[in-house]
Amino acid sequence: MPITFEKLTHEYNADTPFAYLALDAIDLSIEEGKITAIIGETGSGKSTLVQHLNALLLPTKGSLTVLDRTITADEKPKQLKELRKRVGLVFQFPEYQLFEETIAQDIAFGPRNFGMSEEAALKQAQKMLQVVGLSEDYSERSPFELSGGQKRRVAIAGILAMDPDVLVLDEPAAGLDPQGAKDMMELFVRLNKEYHKTILLVTHDMEHVLTYCDHVVVVDNGHIAQTCDKQQFFKDSTLLKKLRINPPAVIRLRDELNQRGFSLPCDLLDMDTLAKAIADEVKDHE
Amino acid sequence: MNNIALGRYLPIDSCIHKLDPRTKIIALILMMVAIFIPAGWLGYLVIGTAVFTLTMLAKLKFSFLWRSMKPMLFMLVFLLIINVLVIHDGTVLFTIGSFALYSGALSQTLYIVVRLMLMIMLTTVLTATTKPLDLTLGIEDLLSPFKVIHVPSHEIAMMISIALRFIPTLIEETQRIMKAQASRGVDMEEGSLKEKILAILSLIVPLFVSAFQHADDLANAMEARGYVPDRPRTRYKQLKMQGKDYITLIIVVLLLSGLVSMAWLL
Amino acid sequence: MKKIQVSHLSFGYDKEKKVIHDASFAIEAGSYTTIIGHNGSGKSTIAKLMIGLLESDSGVITVDDLELSEANIHEIRDRIGIVFQNPDNQFIGASVADDIAFGLENHQVPSEEMQDIIEEFADRVHMRKFLNSEPTKLSGGQKQRVAIAGVLAMKPQIIIFDEATSMLDPQGKAEINALIQDIHAKSNLTIISITHDIEEVAHSDHVIVLDQGNIVLDGTPEEVLFHEQELIDLKLDIPFALKLQHALEEQGLQTKPCTTMEGVVDELCRLHLKN
Repeated sequence: MPITFEKLTHEYNADTPFAYLALDAIDLSIEEGKITAIIGETGSGKSTLVQHLNALLLPTKGSLTVLDRTITADEKPKQLKELRKRVGLVFQFPEYQLFEETIAQDIAFGPRNFGMSEEAALKQAQKMLQVVGLSEDYSERSPFELSGGQKRRVAIAGILAMDPDVLVLDEPAAGLDPQGAKDMMELFVRLNKEYHKTILLVTHDMEHVLTYCDHVVVVDNGHIAQTCDKQQFFKDSTLLKKLRINPPAVIRLRDELNQRGFSLPCDLLDMDTLAKAIADEVKDHE
Repeated sequence: MNNIALGRYLPIDSCIHKLDPRTKIIALILMMVAIFIPAGWLGYLVIGTAVFTLTMLAKLKFSFLWRSMKPMLFMLVFLLIINVLVIHDGTVLFTIGSFALYSGALSQTLYIVVRLMLMIMLTTVLTATTKPLDLTLGIEDLLSPFKVIHVPSHEIAMMISIALRFIPTLIEETQRIMKAQASRGVDMEEGSLKEKILAILSLIVPLFVSAFQHADDLANAMEARGYVPDRPRTRYKQLKMQGKDYITLIIVVLLLSGLVSMAWLL
Repeated sequence: MKKIQVSHLSFGYDKEKKVIHDASFAIEAGSYTTIIGHNGSGKSTIAKLMIGLLESDSGVITVDDLELSEANIHEIRDRIGIVFQNPDNQFIGASVADDIAFGLENHQVPSEEMQDIIEEFADRVHMRKFLNSEPTKLSGGQKQRVAIAGVLAMKPQIIIFDEATSMLDPQGKAEINALIQDIHAKSNLTIISITHDIEEVAHSDHVIVLDQGNIVLDGTPEEVLFHEQELIDLKLDIPFALKLQHALEEQGLQTKPCTTMEGVVDELCRLHLKN
């Protein structure tokens, strides 16, 4: 297990009148080499949770182990750089973190901070541009000339250039058009399959969870409400309803038809098998 | 950021909260003047009592006032050192080697410290008991007579209220960008000078970019909702002076004239 | 009756690169029109041109009988309200009541009449309880509701939603979509929604598809959405209902073409029961 939380609590502004308990003694393990979706309503604590992974936030109680590093509430950790290099965190709307004169320099900024030579970092930048689907001629242009979607790719390339083992992404597809979102999600699947990165994806989009993720963690009001694999998660819509989650279209259709006289099996998660089951059932009646 | 007390509004139900913001602004200005009237220690005792009473009436905790003064502590220590080195009036209190502390230096510094503390306390009472928006409305109204000499009182008030409205947004943004850059290995505390400059740039450039984005969007939103800077507007929030406002002002004027006569007699 | 008539509209931020090319379209009074296109296709630019936040290089925009010009820009803006994408950047007041008041103040509504209007429209968007709340205490969806109240309070005839839900979480999106549907059902307002949500498009009256500043498709959802290959080539989504119908077809089940999920469910239930 590359990531384990043990009884981890995070309280903002502890010991002040503004104290707020964001995470309440959570236990959680994230599997290596998988794509795990972290879902939950706004304010549920999922952002607080992911910011512990590279020690931007530290536990106020309990501990977590990330890769081989254990961080506990009792001692102030030192030398966090190594951890931050190995856990790449991409914030929501990361295009707002660009600042360098050229795209190549911006992508090279991370690796250089972690001690890579300028030459090697720029070379790494060229490589990452291609990984995120931008051609090499972009490298000398200003990041501020790009479109929103391209800026976001550059920002993500800047994190990938650090070559992290774990990649954490907060709503990476927010605000992109459908094609842009699809390209983005396919990039993460490729990073997972080809480069064996462990990926954590904070998302509200159930279609993305269904199509691209392996595991699901549900955060609800500072607690972990559910951790399981995708199949199990979408099997039972009553659980989704309880968690106030609007299921993906395939699941909605399945449930709607079952309510109106069909008897489609509950483990159908993709359009083609569902279509086959529907067609079979309609024809059976003939 | 939640620990900052200076300039923070506290929603409490008190008689000071209910006063018209214009009354409070005028009273603050008059009291500030009073602080600078040389009425000796007795004068400060009078003003101190007045400030103490105001704080009690506003139902503010003294710990809150104390927190608002904390950022000034550094300045006070700095002033003390300068004064001790520069002022050589009065009798020598004690000497350490070639260094002598004069009574004049001590009393001068104490005067400044007391003045500064009173000023901060008064300002804190004003900001803690008046909503930022009411404060801008008050400023706008007080400036409106100066329209004759082309002081754009309405525009000034609009700018202040928008600035106040966006402070929390920009603070949030700053924290987010700092975290994003920390994730890219930026260390704001350690590193060489060159690294530090780069670290600061990595914060400032994105902050400017996003501030301009906010400004551009906001300008569009205002214009789309019919805002034209130099066209007359009506106002939703109306300020109304009441009996208690006039009484408050009379008390403050009496206090001020009392101090003036004290200074005269001295 | 035509509410808005746009003819041969062109615009570019700089001389060489046109963002809108010779666009012409008309919008019916009281209709619900959706405008779609990938990021950078010129959707938001068209919205800004319609309310005169940008000035076109050539072409004519007519609202009712008024031709948009420097002289009557304020009159046009009185008729068109707009809700933008970013909930934070359009909240102008210090509280919900102040924000709704902002437009009224600009329209020189007498102070004593404002409180009633503010309460009425805060109620309309279910924000009455929050009248004194500051923006930092509100969710994105709540801020957008306040923006809608601010626009409605100015009694426009047309409301443009410029990706008004794209920065919201699913709950906020659902709230705003329901509110827009409700406003459309209960008033004779003309609604123009710039969106990426293909399901919203399927439920609208009229669809305009933009690509690189050109209008490439314009018609009813059925007329437009059945051009599936074209939509895919334009990097746009096609409705779930159509994807499903293709999957069913592959399994040898023919259904009556339909663009909405409800339609497909009804059709399948009909086939299921018939047999």
